[in-house]
Amino acid sequence: MTSAAATIPWDELIEHDRVHGSLYTDPDVYAAELERIWYRTWVYVGHVSEVPEPNDYVLKSIGPQPVIMSRDKQGEIHLLLNRCTHRANLVCDAPKGNSSAFRCPYHGWTFSNTGKLLGYPFNSGYAGTALKSELGLGRVPRVASYQGFVFGSFAEDGPTLEEHLGAATDAFDRLVRLSPTGEVELTAGWLQHKCKANWKMLLENETDGYHPQFVHSSIFSVAASGIGDLYGEKSTAVCRDLGNGHTENDLRPEFRRLDQPLGWFGTDPAKVPDYVDQLTAVHGERTREILVDGSPHVMVFPNLFIAEIQLFVIQPTAVDETVQHVTAVQYRGAPDMNRRMLQQTIGSVGPAGFLLADDSEMYERNQRGVQARNPEWLQIKRGTHRERQDENGFTVGDATDEVPQRAIWKHYRSLMEA
Amino acid sequence: MADEVGELSSEFASVRVRIDTDGNGPRLRVEDLRTGHVGFLDPLELETLAWLPEGGLHKLLDPSLHRWRAEDQER
Repeated sequence: MTSAAATIPWDELIEHDRVHGSLYTDPDVYAAELERIWYRTWVYVGHVSEVPEPNDYVLKSIGPQPVIMSRDKQGEIHLLLNRCTHRANLVCDAPKGNSSAFRCPYHGWTFSNTGKLLGYPFNSGYAGTALKSELGLGRVPRVASYQGFVFGSFAEDGPTLEEHLGAATDAFDRLVRLSPTGEVELTAGWLQHKCKANWKMLLENETDGYHPQFVHSSIFSVAASGIGDLYGEKSTAVCRDLGNGHTENDLRPEFRRLDQPLGWFGTDPAKVPDYVDQLTAVHGERTREILVDGSPHVMVFPNLFIAEIQLFVIQPTAVDETVQHVTAVQYRGAPDMNRRMLQQTIGSVGPAGFLLADDSEMYERNQRGVQARNPEWLQIKRGTHRERQDENGFTVGDATDEVPQRAIWKHYRSLMEA
Repeated sequence: MADEVGELSSEFASVRVRIDTDGNGPRLRVEDLRTGHVGFLDPLELETLAWLPEGGLHKLLDPSLHRWRAEDQER
């Protein structure tokens, strides 16, 4: 089969400071992305806390691929393809459950939760049981986790997960450091937002520091939020290229300037005394610094957005359709903080929330706008004249610059041309 | 007499579980709610289940083992 990616002139479509509109609309580009990104690199799938007990399972995805994440009786986590090896029905339908085996509802073929084919009805029709060893469920060949976040890769070989994450491992470390037990739990449930837009509209927007003061001005105004100021011309926050397509809005310079513990969360220690006591018992004198710095705002390429107190998982389902899965971060053992994080999540990205609704409107308008024949290019040149290297050698820009977008496209091109 | 323990359902099966005392000793009564079929498990059988190794039920989960097999097929 001819590679879709090999037929597309990527160097003519992706330049340092502009990208061609067809990258968001061309079905051949989307097919090439599935081949080179979604079915090759490491993709975030789920969290260990979603399958806490032996024989737990949840339904997940890698792009359009339906995936079962299961924990077997020994505790090992498996990523299986949710497709009966007989006639391709979905083996599991419930979003989550507990079962040592899965029975396809179409003809009763039965698989263990490790993917092994245990049997099928009326096996005399197959002249015995030889098929059992041949027709186990398909599986994602490589599974690895970091700080409880489980990733899968359809490539048999390639960089390890930690090599892929590179500097982005720091985002996970900073996230779990805010939990008094050092662990987060994704137990709040998931909202799913479907929008008619290419997945890269979302990927680029998550660390776009230029839009919040415009797109989100109404919610910032109603909530009397200071978030908008973090993304202004006077902000000392920076945006950063973390390498491998991972990008960041690093708001810590502003939080340190303001020097308010839990200011990043819009509250203060007196409101959550149990949580602060628990964290102090673990971190001692460093607790104040941890509470001032707050939680990361990092887009892990290609599909996991760590947004301080929420996680977004980007799932492309077609060239012009994307589902965004959203949940509230929960710190294991910190009920007072968890209640507040859940409330804030409902308020900003829930069914009646404004934040994600604002963004989704922009995604869909973008997708309609990019159909226009002229001009053909999207500009991502903001801040090129003031890009600089930070003390660790990473490229950074001012809070509203387009360093992250250029970083994403640079990595994207390297994957597509590989 | 049977004391209700409860109903358990997944997308694959639904059962009602009771502790049955009609015999000389107690046993677990398991009713398949999709067919009405009833089976019993005594304490020794249940203890054996508690000690099952990984995959210990795999043979029993094969649909062809008993429930979906030709009448004249050898076991």
